[in-house]
Amino acid sequence: MALELPKDKWSGSVQEVVIGATAADGGTRTAAVTVGGETTMPFVHFEAETPNRPVLALEIKDFRPNDWSTLLLDVWGEATNDPGAWAKAAEEAGADLLLLSLSLTDPEGNPNTPEAAVKAAKAVLEGSGLPLMVYGPGQAEVDNELLVPVANACQGERIVLGICEDKNYRTLVATAMANGHLVVGRAPMDVNLSKQLNILIKDAGLPLDRVLMDPTTGALGYGIEYGFSVMERLRLAALRGDAMTQSPMSVNVGFETWKTKESKVGDDVPETWGDWEERAISWETITAITLIEAGADIVILRHPESLKRVRAAIDNLITAPELS
Amino acid sequence: MTSTHKVTFDNAAPVEVPTGATLTEAAALAGIVLNQPCGGQGRCGRCVVKVQQGEIRRRSTLRLSEGDIGQGYALACQAVVEGDVSIHVPPQEKLERRLVTDLTASSVAIPDGYCYAEHQTVQRIPLRIDPPSMEDQTDDWSRLQRSLRQTAGIDKISISLPMLRKIGQILRDGDWEVTAIVEKSQSRETDSARLLDLFPIHFPKEKPLWGVAIDIGTTTVSVWLTNLITGQVLAQTAEYNQQIQHGEDVISRIIYDSKEHNEGVLQKLVIETINKLIERACQRAKAKPEEIYKAVVVGNSIMLHLLLNIPAATIRTSPFINVFNESQHILARELDLTLHPEAPVEVLPTVASYVGADITAGALSSGIADTEKTTLFLDVGTNGEMVLGNKDWMVTCACSAGPAFEGAGVVDGMRATKGAIEEVWINADTYEPNIRVIGGGKPRGLCGSGLIALLAELFLAGVVDKSGNINTTLNTPRVRTGAHEGEYVVAFAAETSHGKDIVITHVDIDNLLRAKAAIFAGYVVLAEGVGVPLNTLEQVLIGGSFGQYINVEKAIEIGLLPDLPWENFHFLGNTAVRGAYYALLNWQSKQRVNEIAGKMTYIELSADNAFYDAFMSALFLPHTDLSLFPTVVKLKEQNQQG
Repeated sequence: MALELPKDKWSGSVQEVVIGATAADGGTRTAAVTVGGETTMPFVHFEAETPNRPVLALEIKDFRPNDWSTLLLDVWGEATNDPGAWAKAAEEAGADLLLLSLSLTDPEGNPNTPEAAVKAAKAVLEGSGLPLMVYGPGQAEVDNELLVPVANACQGERIVLGICEDKNYRTLVATAMANGHLVVGRAPMDVNLSKQLNILIKDAGLPLDRVLMDPTTGALGYGIEYGFSVMERLRLAALRGDAMTQSPMSVNVGFETWKTKESKVGDDVPETWGDWEERAISWETITAITLIEAGADIVILRHPESLKRVRAAIDNLITAPELS
Repeated sequence: MTSTHKVTFDNAAPVEVPTGATLTEAAALAGIVLNQPCGGQGRCGRCVVKVQQGEIRRRSTLRLSEGDIGQGYALACQAVVEGDVSIHVPPQEKLERRLVTDLTASSVAIPDGYCYAEHQTVQRIPLRIDPPSMEDQTDDWSRLQRSLRQTAGIDKISISLPMLRKIGQILRDGDWEVTAIVEKSQSRETDSARLLDLFPIHFPKEKPLWGVAIDIGTTTVSVWLTNLITGQVLAQTAEYNQQIQHGEDVISRIIYDSKEHNEGVLQKLVIETINKLIERACQRAKAKPEEIYKAVVVGNSIMLHLLLNIPAATIRTSPFINVFNESQHILARELDLTLHPEAPVEVLPTVASYVGADITAGALSSGIADTEKTTLFLDVGTNGEMVLGNKDWMVTCACSAGPAFEGAGVVDGMRATKGAIEEVWINADTYEPNIRVIGGGKPRGLCGSGLIALLAELFLAGVVDKSGNINTTLNTPRVRTGAHEGEYVVAFAAETSHGKDIVITHVDIDNLLRAKAAIFAGYVVLAEGVGVPLNTLEQVLIGGSFGQYINVEKAIEIGLLPDLPWENFHFLGNTAVRGAYYALLNWQSKQRVNEIAGKMTYIELSADNAFYDAFMSALFLPHTDLSLFPTVVKLKEQNQQG
């Protein structure tokens, strides 16, 4: 007897968002990336197809970072000294898009400047044809100071500017509107706060097909269960038709996992922890796959090997299993 | 071709205006000043006029009900003249009352059908006693008991030792014509009556027999001095609770009280406060404290524990347990109250740690316990307590709102006294405020209603976003970056009585948002708990001193009150002391409070995540779920277009 699977009927769907513009759309990217559009919970194949696969971004920096693990600095090697070369290497490593995260200071400790930020963004656009996300260093005033000129310089490229927060979103939204870009908003692991931020961004005038949300999450062992639950509830609300929760979700897995002790520390750890590099990559990979199952549309990673493994997992998830 | 039309205002000389002029413009020509706090944007409704003859076109009817329009009312600033009309301008103060919906409590009405003989437990009974003789050797006390049985049907009565020492003399001084003050025992059938006092004379019938209703608030203590015979309240006094010097909220009071060397200090302070209020009330009513023969006390659980000097530490920590909830019967002399030492002091019952006798009494006096209608009863003070239900069922909870709405915890906050800004309108084009000050002079600060109005107006005018962030990029000197991030200047130094700017800061707004979110989340959790959607509430009853001044409309705009028709809201003033007063007069009312306390289902908000979710959701203007506030959404849209 054939098994009849019960199906949920959803009234809403996730907003489809296009990142990056090709020459045909006024940009210079070799291809654009489309995310979102889901009409069911993740990979529930018998209810609906997944219209767009989760995409993987690799994070690169404008300056060689002094706070990144030597595992990462070693694997990217010389490229870390040149954002253009790093972008090229990341594209070759298989990324769908790139995150350029701007530093607070240059390697000498001087404050970063708009000129340097623009130069780095330009170099990335020249080094790779992938769509681009650009994040500020995470301090409201500095973010605005660096990102506005970057947004102007990248006009037409449909880049993602980040990160909007409830206390600081007006400037980024205004410059995104003026230059045809997108924004990502981040709220601290709370369904209501994510939703409120989307309302604020929409009120400021940006259409929702140019908004991504970062629900904030924790790495494996560092609150991932709570992050998972928040993402799941956001997705359920989106499918139930709540327009303000229908933005595709972007999670910064690399940032979260590479600050855990398990990834950071190679010496003086219990022997049972095993090989350092394998452990760090596994930490990033497992965190990423878990959040993809929670509904992540964009996953930002740092290690090229993690990207390969997550990609393989997505390939598995995206194909409907044979039911016998 | 432009034609002109004749506009006549009441008895003023007619003026000619072109097609398309507004009535405001016409009024100015006629020399009539129409109040326009909102600057002629059609938002405040203060320029309401009545069209008596002819027709005008209404650009906006935002402030008017269909009934109003049917009767010819129009907003002068939105009324376009297209023909000859005759206009009546209603007196301003009437309008204000109509629009501000300031439905404050009326003076105390005696409960319907109050009958001293039937309902009052304390009775003044004149007696004519057969004197003793060689034939009748009955002792004095038995003789008095016998007379009470024969005269007043009192079977069982007890007497205290101090009274026993005095009665022999009093009976003889009065030559066996005496007056007994007796506490009957209707409310406690197994107990006997008590002799409270005995006088060697007969009093004139109209001499009052005194009792007091007492509400011990965390911040304010209120006393109603009452003539138990007529039921009339003859003096109302209120004063800060002197305990404030040892903490502004209940938690800090408990902490203070729990320290060993502080034992009894808070009890002493509150009793001093009550005695002072009784003294003042007695002066006004020409009574003496020792002539007061009964008191009924309400208050939150912590206030009642402290009054009785019962350790309250267990209320503060999980699982938040009271030592007692049941009503108590104590004697004035046990508490050092200046009432007659034998006077009973009835403490009304509480429900749970944070739902006290102020709420059980309020549930009685507000009428929620007797209505068919699905009702929300709110008592908003430093804590927000609320009851949802009707005569058949009631659920209750309490949440900590903080003192923001009482003007505390806000940079330029103050109590609702002279000099407080109580109403604000902000012009959405110029961002200039228009304020009303209690007492009419220069402002000194913002009281609760002023803060609510200010936040609502800042939101509607687009000065703050839905998250409460002040938009510091606006082109106005009113908005600037101060010591606490963004701030809005309500009054510049030159316009204030103390020569300092009056501002509202980002931090103030955060405090207000948290306060309103806590209260709103409270009733969301109650409503969801019993499956009653908020928009189906048939009435909202608001008690607490806070409730007397609040403007419903503004409170809805910030999401403090649910989005219901204004007429569904009723302000009742201090429902707690009123409930105590009912219980003071009528033993059945007191029993009713006990029943109500037993009937209420208490929901502990810290028991699960529901409150937190509802709180986060409400931490937005007016709310994250805009579908809960359709009229505010509409107003905001109209405002943005206009």
